[in-house]
Amino acid sequence: MTVVNAQVAPGGGRTTATRRWTRKDLTFDKISFMVVCLVVPLVVYIVFVVSPFVQAAYYSLTDWSGFTSGMNFIGVSNYVKLFQDATFLKSVGNSVTLALVLPIVTLGVALIFATLVTIGGPSSGAIRGLRNASFYRVISFFPYVIPAIVIGLIWAQVYDPNIGILNGLLTGIGLDQFEAFAWLGNVETAMPAVMFVIVWSLIGFYMVLFIAAIKGIPAEIYEAARIDGAGRLRTALTITIPLIRDNIQTAYIYMGILALDAFVYMAALESGGGPANSTLVMSQQLFTTAFTKGQFGYACAMGVILALVTLLFAGVVFLVSRLTGGSNEVAE
Amino acid sequence: MEIQSKPLVRRDFLRGALVTAVMIPLGAALTSCVGGGGGGATGGATGTVSATNPFGMVDKSTVDAVIFKGGYGIDYATFAGKQVEKAQAGSTVDVTAQTNIAQTLQPRFVAGDPPDVIDNSGANLIGINTIRDQLEDLTSVVEAENYEGKVIKDTLYPGVIEPGTFDGKFVQLNYVLTVYAMWYSASLFEANGWTVPKTWDEMLDLGAKAQAAGKYLLGWGKEAATYYQTMTISSAIKEGGDEVRLALGNLEPDCWSSAPVQGAFTGLKKIIDAGYMKPGGAGTQFTAAQAQWSNTEEFVLYPSGGWIENEMKSQTKEGFEMTGAPEPTVTSGSKLPWEALHSTAGEGYIVPSKAKNAAGGKEFLRAMLSQEAAVNFAKSTFSSTIVKDTIPADGFGSTALVSQVAMLDAAGSDVFSWNFVDLYGMNTDQLVVWNTFLQGGSDVATLTADLQAITDKVAGDSAIKKVTVK
Repeated sequence: MTVVNAQVAPGGGRTTATRRWTRKDLTFDKISFMVVCLVVPLVVYIVFVVSPFVQAAYYSLTDWSGFTSGMNFIGVSNYVKLFQDATFLKSVGNSVTLALVLPIVTLGVALIFATLVTIGGPSSGAIRGLRNASFYRVISFFPYVIPAIVIGLIWAQVYDPNIGILNGLLTGIGLDQFEAFAWLGNVETAMPAVMFVIVWSLIGFYMVLFIAAIKGIPAEIYEAARIDGAGRLRTALTITIPLIRDNIQTAYIYMGILALDAFVYMAALESGGGPANSTLVMSQQLFTTAFTKGQFGYACAMGVILALVTLLFAGVVFLVSRLTGGSNEVAE
Repeated sequence: MEIQSKPLVRRDFLRGALVTAVMIPLGAALTSCVGGGGGGATGGATGTVSATNPFGMVDKSTVDAVIFKGGYGIDYATFAGKQVEKAQAGSTVDVTAQTNIAQTLQPRFVAGDPPDVIDNSGANLIGINTIRDQLEDLTSVVEAENYEGKVIKDTLYPGVIEPGTFDGKFVQLNYVLTVYAMWYSASLFEANGWTVPKTWDEMLDLGAKAQAAGKYLLGWGKEAATYYQTMTISSAIKEGGDEVRLALGNLEPDCWSSAPVQGAFTGLKKIIDAGYMKPGGAGTQFTAAQAQWSNTEEFVLYPSGGWIENEMKSQTKEGFEMTGAPEPTVTSGSKLPWEALHSTAGEGYIVPSKAKNAAGGKEFLRAMLSQEAAVNFAKSTFSSTIVKDTIPADGFGSTALVSQVAMLDAAGSDVFSWNFVDLYGMNTDQLVVWNTFLQGGSDVATLTADLQAITDKVAGDSAIKKVTVK
């Protein structure tokens, strides 16, 4: 593009910071730049993202069945119904539990592994990871390469009460109480079992993310810390974490959004919502309400609530980060 | 550009980026709920009505048929399409295979451009209650003559029109006859000298015998726990007659607490408490659980619909001789005999009123109901259609198919069915309750209260259209 030869703007530098744009500045180059980089994306965004928002929010105020062209406006009664719907409230509780537990566990474990393979090696010589670190890096990334639905189906077989490898191993070492034990069929174990699968499948990705971030920290800092007598744990807590704080924050939000959705994993492992609805999540309930029960208006109201919960989650993460002394609002 | 050297502007940009970062999840969540615009009504043009063209299908028109592609495939529909093309010279039938009926056809319904005929079936079918206002009355189809010159109504099994009739309007033609029964291996029963139990007490006795042989009496899979609901409702209806069926179907208060329903639940509970139910079902995928019955014979009886033979074809032991028997009655003095049968029809065919060629859609159904197409279906799928006399004595070599016909003959007019579970989409909620009950996690009182709560929730929701059952 011609923008590269930016000879259009007279002046420049700090002096122009407060000057308003004049008609003279609106050259073809500038306008074409704005159209390509601003107007087109904005239109795409409005058509494909904003308008469905508005549409869904409107539908949530109607009794639309999803299969008619007409619908009746019924105000907020869908929302009133939602807050009296024990099943939906249960699903909100489950989704929030996932959003609280999954990011902490996944990122915590990923961070430990990432530290081990980057700076957790011998305490003499250059800063490096454990022996065979690159091998572990590759291995840990494997689960992320497999599609989530396949992971769900594989683990459903692992957890099978009678032919599953898990019960096979447990009964093999003499724990007979796990004979035909239904991991996904008991209220106490269903949620932890599903959480384990999600954590297992995503640790590799966040590990790679953190490794990249840690590699970006100059080795001199670690060397200086080591000379000052800091051990591995001390280094991880006071050097690594503060320096990759922004990465952790971003990862936390991504992981939280995934946890609030969790639809694919649940569809494969607990398509029916689990024993006593103990693993039912909002997205599942929304899907059933829309397509099985034919209540799109009501389902849209659920979508709006899900959106608000997600929004709240992102907001809280930013706020906590800010209050605990985050350097900036977003990574610079 | 200069923007690089404007710290203030950059600050604003970052602030904007923060807002965007917060908005992205909002977008992801809300876009999952997209609808469409409005749509106009098209009645569908009609041609000349004649004896060979009873619905007035327009000459040389095209029929758009969307067929659910599941266990039965779509070859049978293509076969019927060819028949239409032959009978109505110059017309064409486009048969499209589809697995997610609700998701793929929803935009077409909203846009007012639905297909001419739909096989509304499978896990993702469109709830009939949602669209029944937009469907053609199919009475004219069954009153027409088939391709062999007989009035279609007279060629059908009894009780196949009722399940597709809602508030007096016959909108859904269920094509495949489904008989619900207790399925077992005739060879296994013979080898052990067991007989088919006719009451819940006999079930319990058989459980003890099976246990002595190192087997369980019953078993279940997590997605199919409600098969036991189907079975106990059948048992209760046989015990208490129409009264029970109507109370449940009309979502009456305390409908699950009536003596016949409680009798059936208690009968099942005794079996569970005695340990005759194979444990672990709540965590087992249902076809894996069914293989424990049909392949490894870990349990001996399984309540299911007639599709079970086709479903487990590749996982059935050699020489299994799958055979069906009616569900047990609560007492020997039941209102309906033990032979009474829960039989209904599945694979619901519908013709939308707004379809461009609704007459063509009906013509397609007329072809499907011809003797030739019905025999072709039975032969290729080992399942009976609602058309009578299409199964030869050897059942094309299928013991299950032969026993289905035998059970239907024995039942005579004592055939019943219900559809409130599917009609109001209750199965998902009920599965949860049944999984808990079957693994011994709740008693009869809890089961009853939980099922009643599901029923009451639907009954009390004014947004859900109710169908009165008679």
